[in-house]
Amino acid sequence: MARERTNSSEYTAPLGRLLLSIVLLLLLGLFLVWRIDSPRVEKFRAQITDRFVPNLDWAMAPVTGAINLLRDFQSYQRMADQNRDLRSELRQMQAWKEAALQLEQENARLLDLNNVRLDPRLTYITGVVLADSGSPFRQSVLLNVGARDGLVEGWATMDGIGLVGRLSGVAENTARVLLLTDASSRIPAVIQPSGQRAIIAGDNTRNPPIDFLENSDQVRPGDRVVSSGDGGVFPPGLLIGEVAADPSGRLRVRLAADYERLEFLRVLRHHGTSFVSDVPQIIGPVLPKSEDGE
Amino acid sequence: MKDLSLTRLWGMRLLFALLIVTILFFHLLPLDTLPRRWAGPNWVLAFAFAWALRRPEFVPIWALAILFLLTDMLLQRPPGLWAALAVFACESLKQRARSLRDSGFASEWFTVCAMILGIVLAYRFALMITFSPLPSLGLMLFEMIATMLAYPAAVAMSYGLMGVRKAGPGDFDTLGGR
Repeated sequence: MARERTNSSEYTAPLGRLLLSIVLLLLLGLFLVWRIDSPRVEKFRAQITDRFVPNLDWAMAPVTGAINLLRDFQSYQRMADQNRDLRSELRQMQAWKEAALQLEQENARLLDLNNVRLDPRLTYITGVVLADSGSPFRQSVLLNVGARDGLVEGWATMDGIGLVGRLSGVAENTARVLLLTDASSRIPAVIQPSGQRAIIAGDNTRNPPIDFLENSDQVRPGDRVVSSGDGGVFPPGLLIGEVAADPSGRLRVRLAADYERLEFLRVLRHHGTSFVSDVPQIIGPVLPKSEDGE
Repeated sequence: MKDLSLTRLWGMRLLFALLIVTILFFHLLPLDTLPRRWAGPNWVLAFAFAWALRRPEFVPIWALAILFLLTDMLLQRPPGLWAALAVFACESLKQRARSLRDSGFASEWFTVCAMILGIVLAYRFALMITFSPLPSLGLMLFEMIATMLAYPAAVAMSYGLMGVRKAGPGDFDTLGGR
């Protein structure tokens, strides 16, 4: 019996090794292809997610709801519900404060111009969060709207108040939102009163740091950070958050969006910023051509 | 007898796939959208190791490759690399399963821990030499240690709930065809 077994393993072992090496070659080949031509493989990934995740949605929604309910129940037990109510009230107040600030500015502008027309093309689509990234290394969520709703990669995503992230990977029925907290997220921004330009660079923490700031002396904690629209990917003027300094003195952004519970997100339709691409010229009467009379 | 063992074999293969999909399902639930400072264990890897050491025929290489690749795809990892390392580790554990069968659980656990450490190091090294974006070291170490600690739990669950035991000499339900 034992001899038989060793015999059979003598025949199957090389076959197994061959199979193993083929599988390893295929997998490593896929990794190399991803490394060389990442967009194509990412599109493939988005399609796989598109096939897989919506099928689980029927189970995901109730389980998520049940777990959240359980968590809420625990928190009710632990502390007075007042706290929670107060917090939500505070949030609403912040939203109102934001609205008031914006209205104030808009009012000032209107008084100035008296003939303002808001960009009619800046509309939005609201989607529901289906799933998160599933691992602590990446920060992204999956929305239940996709290319069939006309979504395009790169569009900005907000919750009610602030910027949440941008679309990276759009499949037919789903779209992935890369959150501002992800380590590969970079968003050009302006810090409001001083007009300093900077990049909000996610680093997998709650409050992403502010990078490439020209003059940090002009920036104070509490200043507003809004998207600048540089690069033409984002519409300018979306609220990101406010400046805060961490204990080591580094400037970070306290995000305005409520990252604790991302449920419904707005995707802003954005058809690119139009740029003035004119050759600088002097506007004036047409001068007679100087005839070469020298 | 052969029919019965074949149904059981495919049933257990299906059960393994179902187990992995369930783990993925709980990973994907949108409960935590804030960045975390800690990472849970890699249950997919722990269960794959536990099953590969106990019943290699329930986790054939193609099933492992497909499931690990699916995990890579859904959890936003660089596709293929982690899957390749994990498949390789599972296969080499299968090779050693016979020698580990007679020694106790402690030596099995030690081997698995060494394997996990090897995978993590190789993964980071491969990402480094291809200049891919590296995941944070602290989180990865956290996940690695959590996986090592979770391995006995994965074994206990496979043993107690799913009946994945090491094939004994009197077993009829293996593919060995006694």
